[in-house]
Amino acid sequence: MIAAIRAELVKLLRRRVLVISAVTTAVFAVASAAIVLISAEPAGPPSAGRGVTVTSLSGAGGGTEVFTTAVSFAGVFVFVVFVGVVAVEFSRGTFRTMLMHQPRRLRLLAGKVTALLAFAAVVLAVAEALTWTAARLLAPTQDVATGHWTSAAALGQAVTDYGSVLFWVGGYALLGTTLAVLVRSVPVALAIGIAWAGPFEHLLQDAWDPAGRFFPGLLLEAFVAGGTSEVSATRALVTIAAYATLAAAVGATAFARRDVTA
Amino acid sequence: MNTAQTPQETLTGRAPALVTERLTKRYGSRAAVNGLTLEVPAGVVAGFIGPNGAGKTTTMAMLLGLVTPTAGTATVLGSSLDDPASYLGRVGALIETPAFWPGLTGIENLRVVATLAGHHHGRIPEVLDLVRLGGRGADRFGEYSLGMKQRLGIAAALLGDPELLVLDEPTNGLDPAGINEMRQFILELADGERTLLVSSHILSELEHVADWLIVINDGSLLYQGPAEGFLGRVPTVVALAPEHPRDLDRLAALVRADGLDPRREDTQLTVPVADDDAKAAAAALNRSAGAHGIVLAELYVRRPSLESQYLAAIGGEQ
Repeated sequence: MIAAIRAELVKLLRRRVLVISAVTTAVFAVASAAIVLISAEPAGPPSAGRGVTVTSLSGAGGGTEVFTTAVSFAGVFVFVVFVGVVAVEFSRGTFRTMLMHQPRRLRLLAGKVTALLAFAAVVLAVAEALTWTAARLLAPTQDVATGHWTSAAALGQAVTDYGSVLFWVGGYALLGTTLAVLVRSVPVALAIGIAWAGPFEHLLQDAWDPAGRFFPGLLLEAFVAGGTSEVSATRALVTIAAYATLAAAVGATAFARRDVTA
Repeated sequence: MNTAQTPQETLTGRAPALVTERLTKRYGSRAAVNGLTLEVPAGVVAGFIGPNGAGKTTTMAMLLGLVTPTAGTATVLGSSLDDPASYLGRVGALIETPAFWPGLTGIENLRVVATLAGHHHGRIPEVLDLVRLGGRGADRFGEYSLGMKQRLGIAAALLGDPELLVLDEPTNGLDPAGINEMRQFILELADGERTLLVSSHILSELEHVADWLIVINDGSLLYQGPAEGFLGRVPTVVALAPEHPRDLDRLAALVRADGLDPRREDTQLTVPVADDDAKAAAAALNRSAGAHGIVLAELYVRRPSLESQYLAAIGGEQ
């Protein structure tokens, strides 16, 4: 698996990828910090879910709350990235190339996903730091106090928020990878992925409130938001873990057993 | 199945590079490969011939662990097909079209493959030079011509200095110069130690490089054995066409009188002769015709080609 991780990193750690990732992360950080601060309610107690207020932002976790709030809207993007990155290896025939050099299929797939997650982990860490910095610079314009943002409690909250977001990304990564392995076609996988993670689950939720307790995309959103009125963060975590286990088993079985003909 | 000679008879003690035993792949009710039993001796250039859809690529994909057989067994370099990891490190392959990452340069693509397979990165410049891509390694794969892509595919296959090289239609899409280059390249790679399994539908290309042939049709074996064994199954003929078609019967009688067996093909006769005696036979027939006042408008020796043999074999099968 180490070889598969290193091979994937050869593709990821190229100047072009790094520059694009850095620019995208910087733009995301600044834009999301501005949007979250501007859209923060003037006052009021913290509420479950995504209710961001000036009061909540002025707390110890305010700096990284900006980050988690902004990231939670990018779930479809993360999902689509993983669907695309994995499915394109089938469409392009590069899984065939890789399997001729690494026939241990599960190691190959696990190595690829691990490398992508490791890369995502670094990007998220940078994004969190940049978002925090941008938010701190912009906070005075929205009367958000930042005195507590540099406390020990704030550091602890930053680590917790980072872990939550990483878990959230991991969940989408696993679901996206499984979908790509099952469908093996970029356009079809993307169409299904975008439709499912985008409008489908939310429409279901609008029509049926308890949907938020059962559907993976909604659960991931609920988890990263620290829980909702429908489902607590803990319950979301446990349910997502069950989904992730199932997705990993299905994806691994399909990848290990199916013929690679493309 | 028609087996001219078993590999063991042709070798000096080396185990066959490839052995399949009733290898079968079914997709629903259709058999893409149907009970294929064959052996490829170590150190040969084996031409793998068959029409489109005959099962060549599927057979190669099974040997490379990409496709699971429905039935049958095989060994590759002495290891079971059930454990591709035990032999793929000693096998290089280019199957179907070369598939790489278009945004990566040739060198970066080879670095990915070498890392994955655990090959030393120091081999990369060496194999790029070998396939004459040394000056283009820093260019992106997406900018390569088809011929360059094929060559990069072969470079990737050569990274581990493989004992067995599997090339699936390596001349596909190449222009005549590229085809000639690929032929030369295959000859260079065939050093007597390395085994090459090369499929192609351009039979004239294999005719020049293959010393062992495997012919399949509809997933079943038609022939395996030395190339000359396959080529020798149809005789060399001398073709003669008189200036006037009305002389054909008289010419046929003359040929028969010489103890030969002419056959009529439109406005000419074809006369089977021994290959090493073909020129002398042609000269004798020319003299005989002239002596009896028959002017020959055409006289030539037609040796069997791989294509004619192949078409005869496929035709016979059908």
